[in-house]
Amino acid sequence: MSTSPENPERALLAWLKDRYPVAQFVEWAEHKTVPVGRGAFWYYFGGITLFLFLIQVGTGILLMFYYKGSADTAFASVRFISAKVPFGWLVRSIHAWAANLMIFSVFIHMFSVFFMRAYRKPRELTWLSGIVLLALLLGFGFSGYLLPWNELAFFATKVGTDIIGVIPVIGEPIMYVLRGGEEVTGSTLPRFFALHVALFPALLTLFMAAHLFFIQLQGIHEPDAWKTQPEQRKTMPFFPHFFMRELLLWLITFNILAVLAVFSPAELGVEADPFSPAPAGIKPEWYFLSTFEFLKYMPAHIGPLEGEEFGLLIISLGFLLWCLVPWIDRGRSRTMTTVVMVGGMAILVFLTILTYLGYVA
Amino acid sequence: MKGFVTALLLACVALTSRVKADDLSGGECLECHLEIEDPITELWKDDVHAHAGIGCDGCHGGDSTKDDSELAKRSGSGYRGQFTPRQIVLSCGGCHADIEYMKARKPLLSVDQLEKYWTSQHGKLLAKGETRVAQCVSCHGAHGVREVNDPKSPVYAANVPATCAHCHADAEYMSEFDIATNQYDEYAQSVHGKALLEKNDVRGAPACNDCHGNHGAAPPSIDAITNICGTCHSYNAELFLGSPLAPGFKEKSLADCVACHGKHLITHASDDWLEDEPGGACRKCHETGDEGSDLALYYADTLGSIRQSFDEIDELLARAEVKGMDVTEGEDYEQAARQGLLQARTLIHAFSKPVMEEKVTDIAQNQAAALEVGYAQLKAFDDRRRGLAISTLLLLLLTIGVAIKIRTLPPLE
Repeated sequence: MSTSPENPERALLAWLKDRYPVAQFVEWAEHKTVPVGRGAFWYYFGGITLFLFLIQVGTGILLMFYYKGSADTAFASVRFISAKVPFGWLVRSIHAWAANLMIFSVFIHMFSVFFMRAYRKPRELTWLSGIVLLALLLGFGFSGYLLPWNELAFFATKVGTDIIGVIPVIGEPIMYVLRGGEEVTGSTLPRFFALHVALFPALLTLFMAAHLFFIQLQGIHEPDAWKTQPEQRKTMPFFPHFFMRELLLWLITFNILAVLAVFSPAELGVEADPFSPAPAGIKPEWYFLSTFEFLKYMPAHIGPLEGEEFGLLIISLGFLLWCLVPWIDRGRSRTMTTVVMVGGMAILVFLTILTYLGYVA
Repeated sequence: MKGFVTALLLACVALTSRVKADDLSGGECLECHLEIEDPITELWKDDVHAHAGIGCDGCHGGDSTKDDSELAKRSGSGYRGQFTPRQIVLSCGGCHADIEYMKARKPLLSVDQLEKYWTSQHGKLLAKGETRVAQCVSCHGAHGVREVNDPKSPVYAANVPATCAHCHADAEYMSEFDIATNQYDEYAQSVHGKALLEKNDVRGAPACNDCHGNHGAAPPSIDAITNICGTCHSYNAELFLGSPLAPGFKEKSLADCVACHGKHLITHASDDWLEDEPGGACRKCHETGDEGSDLALYYADTLGSIRQSFDEIDELLARAEVKGMDVTEGEDYEQAARQGLLQARTLIHAFSKPVMEEKVTDIAQNQAAALEVGYAQLKAFDDRRRGLAISTLLLLLLTIGVAIKIRTLPPLE
């Protein structure tokens, strides 16, 4: 290999090799494989989520150039971004749409991992870190929704934080801290902004690094059938085969984002007025609709608990069970596996129906 | 034990009602009237005087310390019994017109009611011996007098029209006074009546007393009309009084505002009033082709043209908004123009073309800016679509390139 200035690419590689274990990384990358089979398509959604997150980081930084996170200035600054900043509308619309697509993609990723039973030993921590990532992304969505400081976001945040306040013992203090007082006011906005651009990104980086580290360390989950029928085992190299296919999907996803941004740009609505009555039809973002709808169906009281408290208890228990799935289904009992799979399917159907009901309500 | 508890409860109830009666002024007069279940005592419980330490003897005289009726009303006790209308006015005025007395008890309450009353049509007639006119009790009630801001009071703003109508809408009662009795019906259909009676706008909408006065109630003179309407519509009044029409109205004894807007049946003013058609407000005095008629036509055409432009703006902004474009800036300009139109309608009262022209220019500028935003947003949408087409093409080329690259990769084992 020539290291002459005439071949700068190789010269750079040689320079790196002199200093870092590049060869080891290259060798690891060359030998990294991805299973090929019927469920292989679903493997791409982890990467699509990552891609959308990177778009969020990029567009989020651009928005921060102009966004002013206080109740007096937030709405006007977002309006300025949409109306005056060159391509501001595009950046904001892509940020809003990518957020929705990212959460949609992460749900697909989670349920595909679940139905492929990829949560089992030794990937329990990958599963748990994934759930934390989902929770953080929902937190991103919830905190980001308020930032334009418009009427819908204001009252949706009020409803959302009201729900948090219902949680016994810890609910009210959490609600108080989130709101910066008893009610959603101008004090709430800087808190949500801080969560959205500082705390959540820091935590997300940490857990995403752990999630990806676990995946690289343990490799991508292979179908269970391959253990008993190793002759069926078929893989493709991560580089370049899988990577090129992922890239293809990234390009398509990016184009979908552009189409959505042009034909359905993010709306701004009316500036929030804490003293005005709540407008009719206040709804949270679609990914919170199922929870919102579920709590709506709760009666006023169930036993000693208030209806909403009981509903949140059920949701919390369900969430806890979902976290514990790797320990509930260890692959030792066919019956347990069937129960868990049927349970997962029921949850998926339940969430879909409630989201639909919430959407049309 | 059960009997003891029941007795205790009954004692408590009795004590409570006793305490309530004791809270009211009235002394032994009240005690007796309570015993005979006189309906007056029920009204007295809500009377402001009863809670202000003024007892029955405050108006009726007598000795309220005596529990015997004969002794209480005995000669020399000052007992006055029932009042004639004139005595009512003098009795109420005895305290309410006494500056020192009122200063010590209710310093913020004015003390000119009696003085004003004698200037009112009611007071003048009473002074002449006509007893069927309204006096204090007719409007405020006798033994259940409440604060003016108490919604149950007959003189609470929202109740005033009905209180006045009690007599003034009674055709039989009014027949001897030669007064129309349709004021209430007309008022109820007017903008003021709807605002007060339907929307309960007690702070904004005028009731009868806001124009006619309350204690000094009388039909306003022609000279006073602009001032009366101008109490609320001050800018309109100022413009009119400074307009070239004001001297003409005065000369011809026309009732300023009332000449165009009417009295009790005041409806929303409409741009149609300016049209040169029978029934138009200006046609009441002006003939087609005269200076006033030309000015009215100018107003009608100008305002019509402004309204038409709003239709165009609305349609344009809606078209851009449906495409997802941000038209808030255009809406701001439109809002400013609409505000300008409101002001222009007020400026009609100046009856001056140059004054209107200045405002119309301002409106036109805002309307033009709103249209500009609408067209710019539609163009921006087309630009976005073109940009999307180009970027889609580039992304498609890239996607095809990657797909070709995938096909050229070594086959999987």
